[in-house]
Amino acid sequence: MIAIERISKTFETRRGASHLALGEISLDVADGEFVSILGPSGCGKSTLLYIVGGFVPPSTGVVALDGKPVTGPGPDRGPVFQEFALFPWKTVLGNVMYGLLERGTPKVEAEAKARALIGLVHLEGYEGFYPKELSGGMKQRVAIARTLAYGPSILLMDEPFGALDAHTRTGMQNELLEIWERDRKTVLFVTHSVEEAVFLSDRVVVLTRSPGRIKETIRIDLPRPRRRKELLVDNRYQRLVVEIEALMDTPAQRR
Amino acid sequence: MRRWSAIPGLPPLLACAGLLVLWELAARGAHIDGLPPAHQALKQVPAILLDRESLFHIADSVRRMLIGFALALAFAIPVGLAMGRSGKVAAFFNPLLMVIYPVPKAALMPIIMLWLGVGDASKTLVIFLGVSLPLIYHSYQGARAVEEKMLWSASAMGMNGLQRMMRIVFPASLPEIFVGLRTGLVLALITMVTSEMIARQAGVGNILFNSLDMALYDRVYAMIVIIGILGFVLDVAFERIRAWFVAWADSQHQIAVGTS
Repeated sequence: MIAIERISKTFETRRGASHLALGEISLDVADGEFVSILGPSGCGKSTLLYIVGGFVPPSTGVVALDGKPVTGPGPDRGPVFQEFALFPWKTVLGNVMYGLLERGTPKVEAEAKARALIGLVHLEGYEGFYPKELSGGMKQRVAIARTLAYGPSILLMDEPFGALDAHTRTGMQNELLEIWERDRKTVLFVTHSVEEAVFLSDRVVVLTRSPGRIKETIRIDLPRPRRRKELLVDNRYQRLVVEIEALMDTPAQRR
Repeated sequence: MRRWSAIPGLPPLLACAGLLVLWELAARGAHIDGLPPAHQALKQVPAILLDRESLFHIADSVRRMLIGFALALAFAIPVGLAMGRSGKVAAFFNPLLMVIYPVPKAALMPIIMLWLGVGDASKTLVIFLGVSLPLIYHSYQGARAVEEKMLWSASAMGMNGLQRMMRIVFPASLPEIFVGLRTGLVLALITMVTSEMIARQAGVGNILFNSLDMALYDRVYAMIVIIGILGFVLDVAFERIRAWFVAWADSQHQIAVGTS
């Protein structure tokens, strides 16, 4: 379980002033739960994810995983970034194997596992390609496979499909759901797309404008496995999207 | 119809031939002692290359150059990368480098000779300095440009700071490092010759300036041609090595496959 307790983040600006990017946030995420964090740009939703990842220290508060406070990054939390962040000097296979070899998996075993994951993200035949030679969607699939490879129990996804075109994006959402429904990892998913959040999540957390605070948490009780075609014509799905969009539109409350 | 410029290797050959013709014509027209015709100078090239003593001098120069280059490699890359990733290291080295960068390294030669004598040590040190600065600069630029998310991905896999430096920052900076290496190679060649001009004892620069003193102008020009060829060969070899190391970053390999 992820326990986020009274986390806030203040950045020092160049002029020496301090800027509160993230208000006090407390949130519990259960094992195997898919939680999306939704908010306007600049509300600090990515920062919250980086804090859970241990990449950025919080200014106040603490994040605990199964009771143990987070002090830095670790292989129990696998990040997937909007920028893909692949290792450009490694091939697709090399990228996916990287974390496995790093964790001490023998080479033969690592390669077999990596090849299976490359199949899972539908990239058979591209094992020997360099990231530069791939399209955005393919790069993100490699990044997802690379992270899944070393077996994190938590996936931290930072607007992973934000840089992709609309068509690729919906395809990737379907694939992610398929993968997630198979092994039910805990997922923290940052996005600014309401449809994406509703389609994927068990719970959607809506943040306010900067400094981000939790405005509302909405449970998404849509049945699984979810099929895009069915959901789009489902009243409950439509109502949730409209409801959350309305939440996002309300002007920031003055403190 | 195929354009003549599309034939590989032809344009540079034509350019060289054109230069030689111009040289020949100018020399015949001008009748200056210090400008022998091209054919006369070129005749001296095989003569020099077949002479054991000159060959020894050339090999000696190249050896010093490679040692200076290798030392710079071992020193400049770690320093540049560390500067690129740490503001404190950059703040420490930056003022020092800003002062040394614009100084022609050959201008330091007289002082260095006072410390280390006229032998190998002085010349190698000057070559080392000449190569180090562009190499530090480009390694620094390369390391600074490394995407933070790439380092985060690596630290999530369990890599510590030193491992990330050697196995993420270093390979990610390689394309930029090679830009510095190429500049460094040219500078190594230049400082090699100039250092031998100042500390005349052995080497390519020594042959060149001894010939000049003895008014053997065709030999002087032949040596310049040989230095040019040496630079060309080194550059071609370097490009081969570079292409092998950073093929993954070269745009000509971009294929951009499929959809999504």
